Parts: sequence; C-alpha cells; structure tokens
Amino acid sequence: MKKQLKKLGLSLCLLASLGLVAGCSNSNNSGNNDQQSNNEGENKTITVGILQFANHPSLDNCREGFIAGLAENGFVEGENLTLKYDNALSDTGNTGLIANQYVSGNVDLICAIATPAAQAAFNAAETKEIPVVYTAISDPIAANLADETGVSGKNVTGTSDQLPLEKQVAMIRELLPEAKTIGILYSTSEDNSISQIEQLKEIVPQYGFTLETVGVNAQADVPMAVDNLLAKVDCINNLTDNTVVSALGIIIEKANEKKIPVFGSEEEQLKSGCVASESIDYVALGKKTGEMAAKVLNGADITTMPYETISDFEEVINETALDLLGITKPESMTSARVVNTETKEDKEAAE
Amino acid sequence: MEAVLSIIIGILEQGFIYGVMALGVYITYRILDFPDLSVDGTFPLGAAVTAMLLTKGTNPYLALLAAIAAGALAGLCTGIIHVKFKVKDLLSGIITMTALYTINLRITGRSNLAFFNENTIFNSGIALWIPQSCRIVVIAILLAIVVKLVMDWYLHTKSGFLLSACGDNKTLVTSLAKDFGKVKIVGLILANALAALSGAILCQQQRFFEISMGTGAIITGLGSVIIGMNIFKHMTFIQGTTAALVGAVVYKGCTALAIALGLPTTDMKLITAVLFLAVLVINSREKGDKRA
Repeated sequence: MKKQLKKLGLSLCLLASLGLVAGCSNSNNSGNNDQQSNNEGENKTITVGILQFANHPSLDNCREGFIAGLAENGFVEGENLTLKYDNALSDTGNTGLIANQYVSGNVDLICAIATPAAQAAFNAAETKEIPVVYTAISDPIAANLADETGVSGKNVTGTSDQLPLEKQVAMIRELLPEAKTIGILYSTSEDNSISQIEQLKEIVPQYGFTLETVGVNAQADVPMAVDNLLAKVDCINNLTDNTVVSALGIIIEKANEKKIPVFGSEEEQLKSGCVASESIDYVALGKKTGEMAAKVLNGADITTMPYETISDFEEVINETALDLLGITKPESMTSARVVNTETKEDKEAAE
Repeated sequence: MEAVLSIIIGILEQGFIYGVMALGVYITYRILDFPDLSVDGTFPLGAAVTAMLLTKGTNPYLALLAAIAAGALAGLCTGIIHVKFKVKDLLSGIITMTALYTINLRITGRSNLAFFNENTIFNSGIALWIPQSCRIVVIAILLAIVVKLVMDWYLHTKSGFLLSACGDNKTLVTSLAKDFGKVKIVGLILANALAALSGAILCQQQRFFEISMGTGAIITGLGSVIIGMNIFKHMTFIQGTTAALVGAVVYKGCTALAIALGLPTTDMKLITAVLFLAVLVINSREKGDKRA
C-alpha cells in the first residue's frame, strides 16, 4: 500500500510540477504583459513562439532568417522580444503539444516552419486568433492554408519555398547542350516532390529534355534506385526531397563513377558535390517571413495578407565538380557564385 | 492560472485520444502477450480514412466508424498472417505495418491532407452544446470512457474471458475445445480497430493527416500501458483498462513537461528511452524481489 501511494504521489508531483513550471512561465508572460501596458510604446515586449517541424539545415536557415528579419524590423530578441523555440522532431503528436503550449502561454505570434507545423499551429491558434506566420511550405494552397488567391481569410499567412524549376532546367541546358534525359529520384511519401515533378513534366519539353523518374519509399532504397536511374539518363536533378537529399553522398559517388552530373536544389547540396543550382536562399526566405511577422505585430490585418514567395534566386556553381566531370563553364554563367565541394579536411577545419 | 489550466487541458486531450490506442495495445501486449507492431500502421490508417472521408463531406461520426472498420480489417490481416501462415508475431505485425504505409498513401492520395473547413466531431453536432474552450477535451474524454466501458463489458463476456485466458493459460483454451488461433485473431482485430479509432480522433482534432503520424505510435502505446500498470500495480481493484487510460495521460503529461521545461527537443527521444528503461528495470527488480 505504501509503495502504491508513493507511486501515486510521484505521478501527482510530476503533474503538479508541470503545472508549476507552466505557471512560472505564465507569470513571466503576464509580467511582460503588465510591462507592456505600463510602458506603452518603445518598451513593449512581444513573445513569439517558433515551432519547427524537423531538424534540417534549410529549416534551420529559415529560423535564423526569421529572427534576423524580425530584428531588422524593430523586434530584437532580449530588448523588446522574447523568443521561444521548439523542434517537434518530425512527431505530429509533439507538434500539437507545442502548438498548444504556445497558445496557452498567449504568445503574440507563432512562426511555424514546414507544413505540419503550420497546420498544427493554425489548428491550435484559430479560436484564439493568435496570428500564425509560416515558412518553408512548397504549396500553401494544397496544405489548406490559403485559397486560390493566396489569402487565407483567417489568422494565417507566410512564405512559400517554391523552387525556380524553369530557371533550373534552363541552366542545365546551358551546361549540358547535348543532354537528352534528366533523371529524378524522389520519395513517394513527399507531396512536394510529387507536385514538383508534375511541374517539371510541363517544363522539360520546352528545353528539349525528357524526364525519367524513379520513386523510393525509404532512404535504404536509394542506392538501387540510383543504379537503375544512372543507366537511363544524362544527368540527375535533385528536388528538395528530404529522403533523397539525406542520401546525397551515395548518389554523387555513384554518379561520379559514371561521369554523370548531379544538379542540386540548394547551396548545401553543392557542398556535398552537386554541380550547380538555381537555389533558394532559405535565410532570405526566413527574413521575408520575419518582415511579414513584423507587419502583423505592428497591426497589419493578417487575414488579408496573401502568402509570398521570394523572386530573387541565386545561381551557384561548383567548380570542383565541373573539373571532375570535365564540363566547361559557359560564359553565361561567369557571374554565378562559386562554391566548392567540401572535403573531409574542409569540414574538420570548419569545426 | 488560466495558462496552466489550458496546458493541462491540452495534455488531457492528447492523453485521452492516445489512450484509446493504449486500450488496444493493452489487449495485445498485456492480455495476449503479442508484440503487435501493426499499430504503427493502423493508427495512421484510421487517420487516413477519416481525412479522406471528411474532405468528401462525410458525417464525422460515420468517418470514425469507417476508421474502426478499416483498423479491424488490418488487424484481421495481421492475425491471419500470424495464425494461418504461421509467421512469427513480431514479423506479422511488421508486414502489416509496411503494407499499410502504401495503403495509407493510396487512401489519401498524398502524404499530407488538411481539412480546416470541414465538419469534425469537435466542431459540429453535439459538440456545439459544449463551451468552446473545453469542447475537445470533453469529447475526447467521453469517447475514451465509452470505449473503455464497452471494452470492460466485452472482457466479461464469454468471448472476453477466452481472450484473457489466451494470454494466461493456453492449455485452458485448448481444453475448452476452443481454437486458440481464432481467439488471438479476435484480439488483434479489436486492438487494431481501437488504434485506428484513436488515429481517427487525433486526425479530427488536429484537422490534418500526415503520413508520418504513426511513427512511434507503438512506443506511445506500450509506454502508456506500462506506466499505467506500474502506477496501479498494487491496486488490484483498478481495472487494467483504467490503468491504460491513466498511463496515456501521464505519458503525454511527461512529454508536455519536457517541452515546458525547455529541455532541448533533440534530446527528447533519448530521455524517453532512458525513462522507459528505468520503469522497466524497476518493474522487473520488484518482481525479482517477490520471487526471492
């Protein structure tokens, strides 16, 4: 009997301490709110919760950019801004819990990074009308977060990371005038990849290419799928597919053996050995998101703000990879920013 | 205070929603002694069926029933693979789980399907009689309790007794001239129907389906059952079903606590694993003491 009471006591303590912790953070918040009402104007403290769905370099860049974007627009962490940050580690259950805690803590705005985070945040915040500003969503309309005009009519808006696919295909044509077939590896569970392939199917014939796609279900399928694909194509083009990108090393290794170039969808992929990319600068995307969030915090009506994309993409080229594959850099690409494949030594030096 | 209350409400919401799955895991893990991994597939299966039906404007309660049926069917598959084809328990669950990944994608047609503008059990029908701030929690608790009561009732029917006997005393079942395999299949059908129902309720609460939402469902389920069993270990008058539900709430409470404490979320999986191991070790030690 004693033991069971102990156990019960323990679990009650757990719950109580949870309450306490939450209570503390709450009293902090209300303290802030008091301050807010006392010193109207410059000393206002705003609380923003950042809910990131998963660990991913691009998503981290978005977050960095977002914080910088807020700062550029007058909301500086530690001065007039309190930031909370949580990563849901790809778990939708956690995503819901975190979103609920932000809403319970009455944050002034939630920044949601990646689709499920945005959906969970909006779901939790809708009734309290806490504004949700999202980023890194390829297709906000498909995610049910905006209508065809790009406006949600509700307390949610943000930025989309749509890829400049047409520019990418044009760039591949510049670099490989003789190539006929572009190969794409994608994972069947990623909506973004599937919709990007649909768009590519429309684009590639205009540049004289055909498209060859191979789907994978898991990272473990990638090596076999690459072998299959390499037999049929003149080059490979990566999408933002998380599963495929995380197995990029093996793709590049196999492609290099056959002297087949691999194109990337962002700069990070070039550092792993991709040839070139029309890439999205995720930090810039995050900055734009921060700018939008600042507008909302300054009183703009979020319900009428359409989601935005960034129009300035950057051409990046990897000279180590070009040399390795014996491709000459066309004159039109002399202005492209140069990065090189990071070797082990580079990485160690960086650390 | 208001914030604390709403965080606790959030925990209760998730706890009771996942609790329905814990009730299912209770059947397989505790009663049948069957480590059923199909739950990782049937939980999102329930969500997929619900999401697909709701976007077509189906009544949300009908969608729940459809999810139960789909889950039951999946459980039947695991059962047949295990009992009829004599595949090991762990493997038959893995086979169903793997197959369901594709099936779930086929059902929704995509890996993420949101339905913010559709009716759900939480924003239509009887939900409108409940004040908005506690709508979700009230409905989640009601659903979980109804499921629990039905299960308690079932476990006291003849079929239910056979099920309990299956895990404890196989020879008894056989000596009663009952087919041990059939009873096992019934248990798997029930367990997976509940897992799918739980996924369906969660999906209606969060208003989107995501293919990855089943990942680790079995861990949550097992964790809930084991925590619940440990809390009430010495209180024999507490039913196992109650323990499973309470376990789920405590499990979610711990997760929420970890988040509220600001523990780095990257460490959370490790913390969960260590906690889990600690509970199991303490549990087996106490058992050992008794034997000695």
